[in-house]
Amino acid sequence: MAGPQRFVVRQGDSATPVEVLADGRVRVGEPGGGLTTRSRGQIQPPYAGCETGPSDVFVVTAVAPGEYVVASGVRTWRVAVAGPPEARWVGSEGLTACIDVQPEGQARAGRARGAHGGLTAPMPGTVIDVAVGVGQHVQAGDLLLTLEAMKMELPIRAPRDGVVSAIRCAPGELVQPGPPLVEIT
Amino acid sequence: MIRKVLVANRGEIALRILRACDELGIETIAVYSDADAGSPHVLAAGHAVRIGAPPPAESYLVSDRIIEAARAAGADAIHPGYGFLAENAAFASACQDAGLIFIGPPPAAIAAMGSKISARQLMERAGVPVVPGETPADQSDASIEAAARRAGFPLLIKASAGGGGKGMRMVRGDAGLAAAISGARHEAKAAFGDDTLYVERLVTGPRHVEIQVFADAHGGAVHLFERDCSTQRRHQKVIEESPSPALTPALRARMGDAAVAAARAVGYRNAGTVEFLLEGAGDDARFYFLEMNTRLQVEHPVTEAVAGVDLVHAQLRVAAGNELPWTQTDLRQRGHAIECRVYAEDPSTGFLPQAGRILLYRQPERPGIRVDAGVVEGSEVSVHYDPMIAKVIAHAETRDAAIDRLRAALAEFRILGLPTNIPFLLAVLDSPAFRSGTVHTAYLDDEGAGLASPQPLPAAALAAAVAHVETARPNSAGGQPPRHDPWTTLPGWRG
Repeated sequence: MAGPQRFVVRQGDSATPVEVLADGRVRVGEPGGGLTTRSRGQIQPPYAGCETGPSDVFVVTAVAPGEYVVASGVRTWRVAVAGPPEARWVGSEGLTACIDVQPEGQARAGRARGAHGGLTAPMPGTVIDVAVGVGQHVQAGDLLLTLEAMKMELPIRAPRDGVVSAIRCAPGELVQPGPPLVEIT
Repeated sequence: MIRKVLVANRGEIALRILRACDELGIETIAVYSDADAGSPHVLAAGHAVRIGAPPPAESYLVSDRIIEAARAAGADAIHPGYGFLAENAAFASACQDAGLIFIGPPPAAIAAMGSKISARQLMERAGVPVVPGETPADQSDASIEAAARRAGFPLLIKASAGGGGKGMRMVRGDAGLAAAISGARHEAKAAFGDDTLYVERLVTGPRHVEIQVFADAHGGAVHLFERDCSTQRRHQKVIEESPSPALTPALRARMGDAAVAAARAVGYRNAGTVEFLLEGAGDDARFYFLEMNTRLQVEHPVTEAVAGVDLVHAQLRVAAGNELPWTQTDLRQRGHAIECRVYAEDPSTGFLPQAGRILLYRQPERPGIRVDAGVVEGSEVSVHYDPMIAKVIAHAETRDAAIDRLRAALAEFRILGLPTNIPFLLAVLDSPAFRSGTVHTAYLDDEGAGLASPQPLPAAALAAAVAHVETARPNSAGGQPPRHDPWTTLPGWRG
């Protein structure tokens, strides 16, 4: 396989460069260090006695479908991976995250899970109450409507001050994540 | 004699009961909603019957359809599991009227314990200590508010028919009272079809210690020791263990005797749990009757581990008319067992429940670990049901060894596709308060916020994420894991 391949891994607001080297090893962070993602305080480059010196270079070995052993030269991690590049789930030692893996230079394609703005349903649910009306002034934190999902009531609150310009749901309606339920201008 | 059992439930508890029936040579029937077609409990049964649309009110709560399914399939008994119709006295009666054995207590015992108001009065008469409280007879908002002010703050407003924290609200003062009453009423109506509310003074800083009891139709009644369920979040149990770090042998014996007295007072049969609030520790600690759960509990594996029994086998035998398989003197508590409930919920966003497909699912496997799960790789966690994915139970010689074992098992439990509470569970197990055995029921709500903060992935995880080549998608039908050949998933640049 030809030449190294460079990627950007995004998780929340952080972006980490990751490079697949010509020999198949994977470098996380800038060459020579500069990691933006730390490993729970266990690894601090430079690694004493590590063949690659002050870098975060790993050998990745597939051991089962979606399961990998990742070796740094100092220690190994078991890592599980599943999902498409734009919503790739990765887990290790009890921690999981949904990240976005894209070739370097390509625009971000992923959607940040959990980063709903407050005006959309965080999960499918039934609207049980709409607490505001069109034209009403609301302050950040005011209750806009209440959803019921998984036997729990979920309050949807105003993310900022403003005036309710539209209400796009009604009590009893089953709503999905994505489209705004209330518009504030 | 029971030859064929219909299991009126879904998920992990349905599987648990179906397997117990298999072991005893009993034929099985599963029921399922449209959301559960092809799910593990359906595939595990000898026969499966569709009972309706995904919302519980249109399927798992429709007793007529379940009884009709049992009759049509030739069942002689129904096991309700927990939740849904398990504590519905009318359903238990309807089973009997249809000539079916209800695997649980008599309808009268369910009814007596199902109303917190009547249960309290019964327990007072039986000499079982109860929590100081108020009983609003008139259910109007004004009357409940008045009763609440008489009881004094802080207090709890509860669904009289309820359990599991559904329809329960804590109120610290006048300000939140009206909202709490309407919220509790709505949740109670939605969860149980009964919005009768009950007001009770909150005993602050208590532990939740419950006693497993078992009674037969021949006058036998025993207790199978305690489970400490003090590690709760908003009244939902998170971690359960036995023995309780707070119980002395003398206190255990007193609570066990009180629990057996409670069961006898309502003519109880089969498996049940008497929940107590415990104030203080040592021989002088005070305990108060909280409620009786007239069914198998979510956390029953904890008792199975320390007592070395199979509670579902015993349920089936006692329901068939046999005597209890043990006397009180046969029963011993051995070692220490701890259970964690793994939920599809996101600790970093206020524990919002999560729905979605499980893309990768690998259970921990190690000595002394039991996993009861209702999902497989490719399963859909539905918005319609409780978001519990699995229970992980560790059994070891000591409490410390059980915590270490459970910690290791949770760290190797790989669930991808939606957030779970595993990072939170690990943080709780590591917390000094849990390690020292001093957690009370309000601990996680008061001091657990820091335990829910997200931690960054190790850099190594990002390396694997980039190296990964997706070869197949989980089957959307839900039942089958994707077909992988390990060699095709090797990173492409290695070939």
